[in-house]
Amino acid sequence: MSICISADKILYNFLASKSDVETSFNRVPDQAVKCGFGMQGVCCRLCSNGPCRITPKSPRGVCGATPDTMVARNFLRAVAAGAACYLHIVENAAVSLGEIGRGNSDLPLKGVSLLNELAGRLGTTGSTEEEKAVNLSNMVLADLYRPRSEKMRLVKKLAYGPRYEKWAGLGILPGGAKSEVFDALVKSGTNLSSDPADMLLHSLRLGIATGLYGLAMTNRINDIIWGEPEIRLAKAGFGVVDPDYINIMVTGHQQSLIGILQDTLSSPAAESIAEASGAKGFKIVGSTCVGQDMQLRGAHCGDVFAGHTGNNFTSEALIATGAIDLVVSEFNCTLPGIETVCDQMHVPQFCLDDVSKKQNAEYLPFNLKDRHIIAGKIIGAGAESYAARRKKIAIDVPVHGYDDVLTGLSEKTLKNFLGGSYKPLIDLIVAGKIKGIAAVVGCSNLAAGGHDVFTVGMTRELIKRDIIILSAGCTSGALENVGLMSPSAAEQAGPNLKEICRQMGIPPVLNFGPCLAIGRLEETAADIAAELGVDLPQLPLVLSAPQWLEEQALADGAFGLALGLSLHLAIPPFITGSETVTRVLTADLEQLTGGRVIVDGDIISTVNQLEAVINAKRSGLGL
Amino acid sequence: MMMKRIFIKPELCEGCKNCQVACLAEHSPSRSVWFVNLSDQSSQPRNYVELNNEGRPVPLSCRQCDEPECVSACVSGALQRDPATCLVVHNQKQCAGCWMCVMSCPYGMILPDARESKIAVKCDFCADRGTPRCVEACPTGAISLIEAPSPDTDGEYYVLTGGEQQ
Ligand code: SF4
Ligand code: SF4
Ligand code: SF4
Repeated sequence: MSICISADKILYNFLASKSDVETSFNRVPDQAVKCGFGMQGVCCRLCSNGPCRITPKSPRGVCGATPDTMVARNFLRAVAAGAACYLHIVENAAVSLGEIGRGNSDLPLKGVSLLNELAGRLGTTGSTEEEKAVNLSNMVLADLYRPRSEKMRLVKKLAYGPRYEKWAGLGILPGGAKSEVFDALVKSGTNLSSDPADMLLHSLRLGIATGLYGLAMTNRINDIIWGEPEIRLAKAGFGVVDPDYINIMVTGHQQSLIGILQDTLSSPAAESIAEASGAKGFKIVGSTCVGQDMQLRGAHCGDVFAGHTGNNFTSEALIATGAIDLVVSEFNCTLPGIETVCDQMHVPQFCLDDVSKKQNAEYLPFNLKDRHIIAGKIIGAGAESYAARRKKIAIDVPVHGYDDVLTGLSEKTLKNFLGGSYKPLIDLIVAGKIKGIAAVVGCSNLAAGGHDVFTVGMTRELIKRDIIILSAGCTSGALENVGLMSPSAAEQAGPNLKEICRQMGIPPVLNFGPCLAIGRLEETAADIAAELGVDLPQLPLVLSAPQWLEEQALADGAFGLALGLSLHLAIPPFITGSETVTRVLTADLEQLTGGRVIVDGDIISTVNQLEAVINAKRSGLGL
Repeated sequence: MMMKRIFIKPELCEGCKNCQVACLAEHSPSRSVWFVNLSDQSSQPRNYVELNNEGRPVPLSCRQCDEPECVSACVSGALQRDPATCLVVHNQKQCAGCWMCVMSCPYGMILPDARESKIAVKCDFCADRGTPRCVEACPTGAISLIEAPSPDTDGEYYVLTGGEQQ
């Protein structure tokens, strides 16, 4: 059977050896023929006169829609769907925070200093931490639920000053986030908006709502509940899995839900249940972004968190090791493909949020008040599964991953690591020892050369040119599993970056964790810009989501463009059928926000382009 | 001798026109399905997807006829049947744009170019690739590449067919 290749050779060999297990890697060849109209974004099936497609002989849809209209509508819908995903996450996180504040949960708040700091910044009232938690939760939810005619109130306090002014000037300050999503769906319907410019501006508004709330605010709320990140070395890869334990694999993006397992699975009661079924105890095995988030806050998770195993497209393989006894999911990226592997490996599935309901998963509706009941069910089912399946299923965990992945980087920990200010980093950039910063973010896909092939290849080439990498998203899973986030990766960097990394004992690729941490990268960039007294587009910083996969990535991308950053994508976001949309996103936008999209599917040519952007920004700063 | 032919199974065609996009891409500067300009009305695919009397899509392209009417009609010598490949080749440089071929093709598979209407355009079997681009792009198998015995080979093919028909 021919399978898709991966930058992670051990993973590839493992999958190639499992001829009896079908995963996404096996399905790639059968889906190799793509639809050209879909690729270019010029297939419209909004109404029953369609599907309409653009060809030289049929230049408009039946209704008269031009390729520009079709592409803009399709693009806006995708960004709206992606924004909806992240807004769902921040909504749930805010609800959990409120519940804890109201005393409806016995969970402690592990990040009270951040709560107090944020309350000060946002003007959140309250004489106790509990009151502040409730009020902060209410402020966030109120903004999410506003009508579109009312601007969200926290934006001004959350955004970097010069950006806020820019957005106000362009008229892209978002109204209530959920209403912005809602009206994006309205205007992109049949015989509604036909104006690509208006729809692209709407996409930017959705990007701002996504970035400031869906990403950055989710991080803060989770930091307040589960504890702030701390820099530490951790194990990553399939090697974290110990078959002697009952292994609960978690997939999704919401530590605000999954986190309830942290203390319950390590309680004495859980331990005795595990021992009764012949296991040493329970372990949470991190997969996809929620695993990345737990790794980031690993200092507060305790031993019950085994570690992070890998990104979205490693999840089927992880189950195929046979060492997973139960899957608990609460969001994407929970691939439909895991279901057949779960069946084959006798792994029951649970789901805490019906947005990621898998067909054969049992749905346990999440409510923080019921957390012990929910956890109890998972503990019971895990123990039962372990006892039943281990006799039948062969276990094969490959030797995979690294023991010394530097984790826990955040907007704050990086600054503290540098001595409380970004000055030392800026000095290195000024001196030319570090040429610039590339934020390598987003997903992993099985296109762009194969699983993580572009991400890893591009990152290796960037560090060779003394460009330091900050990673957030499934890119982190990719880069840590090929060793680029271990200190020894310094040897692969260019001479200057190598020397700096060796001195500091850090890798040239810094692990900010999940895609939510794209919000942390924005704050890091804003801090650096503030220190220099410039706006974000002036920084020698580029953004690349080389192997972007889905709608959420496009919403993140819209945030990057609103921030004024150059955003590279290896695969066009289904826009090339429209000259106008392509021109606006890849060129004209630079005059508006400072940002633009760079589409390049070749690694070396991409790195040349990104380096040229960095060099141009350096000279703009007189460097 | 064997020759390559596009074999059509119309019952498998879904009418997605991916074969046409592929043809446009192959004959565009970037050759890329991502970047070919689908709105460029001075370009044209050399293959067609038409509806039959029952409203079902049927993929069509030049049949590379054994006894091509277009070649017989061609006054400038631009159209020739290549004896080595048994493909009907159109030399655009030699084309006079008289449209004799356009009028004589019984299947409507050769047309004036959409850009300037000066020369004829037909399927070139993606001459410099092993497999025509449309065949690679078809998701259903409605068009596929087959090797068939050349009619120029004496004997065998006809005897075999005749035998089957009896
Ligand atoms: S909305 Fe217009 S372009 Fe889309 S399917 Fe209907 S008629 Fe065709
Ligand atoms: S253009 Fe028409 S006549 Fe000429 S070879 Fe093709 S199908 Fe036959
Ligand atoms: S690509 Fe295949 S299925 Fe699609 S229209 Fe062409 S022949 Fe028909």
